[in-house]
Amino acid sequence: MSLFLIAALPFIGALLPGLMIQAGRNTCSTWTGIISLSALIGLLVHAPAVLRGEVITASVEWMPALGLNASFYLDGLGLLFGTLILGIGCLIILYARFYLSSKDPMGNFYTYLLLFQGAMVGIVLSDNILMLLVFWELTSLSSFLLIGYWKHLPEGRQGARMALTVTGMGGLGLIGGMLLLGHIAGTYELTELLEKRDLIQADPLYVPALLLILLGAFTKSAQFPFHFWLPRAMAAPTPVSAYLHSATMVKAGLFLMARLYPVMSGTTEWFWIVTLAGLITMVLGALIGIFQNDLKGLLAYSTVSHLGLITMLLGFSTEAAAIGAVFHIINHASFKASLFMTAGIVDHEAHTRDITRLGGLRHLMPITFVITAVASLSMAGIPPFNGFLSKEMMLEAAAHAQLGDNAWLIPALATLGALFSVAYSFRLLLHTWFGAERHDYPHHPHDPPFGMWLSPALLAVLVVLIGLFSQGLVGGIVQTTAASVLGNHAHPHVHLALWHGVTPALYMSGVAVLGGLVLLALYRPAHGLWHAVPRPDAKVIFDAIIDAATKLANWITDTLHDGKLTRYAAIFFLFTVLASWHAFSGGAGVTLPREPMQADIIPIIAWFALIAATGVTVYYHRHRLLALVVLGIIGVVVSLSFNYLSAPDLALTQLSVEVVTIVLLLLALNFLPEFTPKDSGNGRHVRDILIAVFVGGAVAALSYVIMLTDFAMPSIAEYHLAQSHDLAGGNNVVNVILVDFRGFDTFGEITVLGIAALIIYGVTEGLLGSKVRQKLLERKPNHPIAGDEHPMMMVVATRLLLPIALMVGVYIYLRGHNDPGGGFVAGLIVAIALLMQYMASGYDWADKRQRFPYHASIACGVMAAGITGIGAFFNNMPFLTSDFGYFQFPPLQKFELATAMGFDLGVFLAVVGAVMLTLESLSRLAYRRGDVPDEYPMDINPSRQPKNEDH
Amino acid sequence: MVMEIIIAAFLVIGGVFGLVGNYGLIKLDHPMARLHAPTKATTLGVGGVLIASMIYSFAFEAEGSLHELLITLFLFITAPITANFISKAYLHRHAHEETLPEPNGDTNWAVLERPEWSPEPEKTQEG
Repeated sequence: MSLFLIAALPFIGALLPGLMIQAGRNTCSTWTGIISLSALIGLLVHAPAVLRGEVITASVEWMPALGLNASFYLDGLGLLFGTLILGIGCLIILYARFYLSSKDPMGNFYTYLLLFQGAMVGIVLSDNILMLLVFWELTSLSSFLLIGYWKHLPEGRQGARMALTVTGMGGLGLIGGMLLLGHIAGTYELTELLEKRDLIQADPLYVPALLLILLGAFTKSAQFPFHFWLPRAMAAPTPVSAYLHSATMVKAGLFLMARLYPVMSGTTEWFWIVTLAGLITMVLGALIGIFQNDLKGLLAYSTVSHLGLITMLLGFSTEAAAIGAVFHIINHASFKASLFMTAGIVDHEAHTRDITRLGGLRHLMPITFVITAVASLSMAGIPPFNGFLSKEMMLEAAAHAQLGDNAWLIPALATLGALFSVAYSFRLLLHTWFGAERHDYPHHPHDPPFGMWLSPALLAVLVVLIGLFSQGLVGGIVQTTAASVLGNHAHPHVHLALWHGVTPALYMSGVAVLGGLVLLALYRPAHGLWHAVPRPDAKVIFDAIIDAATKLANWITDTLHDGKLTRYAAIFFLFTVLASWHAFSGGAGVTLPREPMQADIIPIIAWFALIAATGVTVYYHRHRLLALVVLGIIGVVVSLSFNYLSAPDLALTQLSVEVVTIVLLLLALNFLPEFTPKDSGNGRHVRDILIAVFVGGAVAALSYVIMLTDFAMPSIAEYHLAQSHDLAGGNNVVNVILVDFRGFDTFGEITVLGIAALIIYGVTEGLLGSKVRQKLLERKPNHPIAGDEHPMMMVVATRLLLPIALMVGVYIYLRGHNDPGGGFVAGLIVAIALLMQYMASGYDWADKRQRFPYHASIACGVMAAGITGIGAFFNNMPFLTSDFGYFQFPPLQKFELATAMGFDLGVFLAVVGAVMLTLESLSRLAYRRGDVPDEYPMDINPSRQPKNEDH
Repeated sequence: MVMEIIIAAFLVIGGVFGLVGNYGLIKLDHPMARLHAPTKATTLGVGGVLIASMIYSFAFEAEGSLHELLITLFLFITAPITANFISKAYLHRHAHEETLPEPNGDTNWAVLERPEWSPEPEKTQEG
């Protein structure tokens, strides 16, 4: 099976449970299981080749410019983890079928589980480290969903949040680290990157990359000081704990360390950080684990401890230690998943996981007891189970490890960790299952149905078999995996056996078992001592940090975004100017090669008008209506200057936009007081003036420099001017750029315009039913309202002008391709023509006569543009490639038709719709209580009968 | 030569009326009286320039131009409406019923017809 399919199968399959749940819980779980199983079989098909030492690859170039390729590869390490993920996944799916109660939404559960499974498989099969990062984040997200599966439990939600925060933070660090690594190595493909050990370790960025990557790995694998999230995540349903928190997700961090081992390991930094973190985690996790009363809590801390053990082995950077680490990954997954599942069974049957309330279960649940006994003895490292073998290897490796010059610290602490491990394993076994049978269980327990204990039983059988026949069963995969961990074409010598003769490790193991049993015998005093010693509570610290971070974020947001537009503007402008200054001062300096143009008298007059209008606007800005009228002068001068500078298209557009804008602002002024109140003191005024002058001066200086400087690079304008007629058949370069050369931009813009108009419509529609609407209805006008709102002269004139204006619109639209004009300007002109009717005869009267909804106009416009673009496909050209030709139908003259016209029609319709919908939406709000719908086009009937005819 | 004189004459006429209109706008002190002044500028002032432009196009250019007639048309449509609105606004904001002459045939001036704003939903459609 292709590696693509293996990675994709769980994601595709994630759609199934939601559908299959309709057919019942058995169908749902069966289909989920089939998905997992087929992916597993697909993976195992490659096993013989991988065990022979081959590497299976599959690759598709995705975004080669970014170095992001969809490439997968399967070596020993990938095969081991893939088998664990998919194999244990199958068992978990079976177990969850019986574990989940009928009230739990099973479809959701299996969907989340398959998503998670796919993400994990993606991590272990990825060849591209960028893609690995994507899958890494997906595991964080999907595990968040799984941990918080019981949404009604606060612990579940809090635990899920904490897990997401911690692993998400690590993921962020990992992104940085991986990008650094890829930057150093010059490639993002693992297969190439792993060959560059010397290059990477010699680079000054090695240490930052290492720290960031380890941050990701340690948070994911719950290494000290990030270990605290794992026990809190135990609020998840037990199948999740068994799957994520023993066999798979927490091992993703280990996987990452193992994956990058060939290039990252062996340095002093690696040795100290990884070994120490692992050692501390191992001892601390085991110690805390002893005193946990919650079965799953105990197992969680034990997991933390075992993950620390594997991390420490990877830190040693020796061949034997790496082999031990690989072997222990297999063993830990088998016995810990089994133990989690039996803990779930106990919880399911006895309705409690509290060890102090349990005891004597061995007669009530004999099958579960046997499974637990096998698994927990393996966890304690008792022969002949598999845990013993890998623990011996760990102790052997620890016995040879030196921490600086110190030869005894690591062996002593490793033995201590093993001792604690024995203690909690036996506590789990003895305090839960041995002792007298009790009569006060919350629920009388008995063995669960076959389906529920089958999964842990299979794992327990594996525990025994691997213990007895280690070399034959897993020797090959350990050999291959260790080879890929060690990398650099290593051929590790793997010899797994129960009996290695009398070695230091055997003595240490003996000390650990005896010491552990003694500690357990002294459990009561030890327990008292443990609780007498004050310890920091991770949750309190975590919450405090989160609180502080939230406060800081709030403070920053409140300071920068306090709702005052003036402050936004000040911050934005000052920042922009300072950033520009920074960029400018680093540049080559200013030379002004161009000569300024000679100023004519007319531009100077316009310039004075502009300055004067600006000054008047500033001076009278409190008088809103007056300021708006003066703004109109500025708009006209700007339009005229466009025209003067040979940009008739811009001038046309600017003029139409100006009209629409003024109308829009008038509508808005309708809701505002006539005068702006004075609300800032003189000091603030001076400050604002200084900022404004400074920023304005900067912009003016920049414009001056730009206009007198040649372009740094050849301008694309030359190309557009030269090719406009030949390629697009249009002489109006502006229009050709809009509808053809950069048609895709325009397509996006009309879509955005349409969306904006729809949002304005939605917001105002929402306001219509709200308290704001009530306030608007009750608002008192600033002046008494005038009569004769719709005077006859205006009404008649606008009616007369409507067909003329529409004709002008069509004319402007049609000539757009070769002369100034085009769909955008035509749309604005038609919108103004319609707007005049609304203004002259009132909203109600005009709206009743308007039969084509503006929403539809927007939609038609976007679709017309889109369909025109798609039409290019039939011409075997890319999207939006335009075509044109010249036609002659007698008696007409020869004329040109271009597909760009269809596109321009779309622009036209979208602009008309967007402008009208926006204005219409605002007009709807303008009602006051007491307003009566405009029934007639004019307020005063011209054919009325005057009362006294005597004049 | 004759054409040039005619064109110059129209330009001067237009300019004079434009000047007179603007001078009147400053000189006259009552808003309603002021309405008269710009009408000179928009009709005769602009009109003179437009006629000059038309003659110029027929006399000195390859094709004659009648665009100016359209400009005149639009001026004729918009200028009265502007004046109408300005006077309506003035009446509404500054005039009192007592000082105004009797409306011809109607009960009141149209802009003053509307009652004071009241929060109750009541209004009668006039006309």
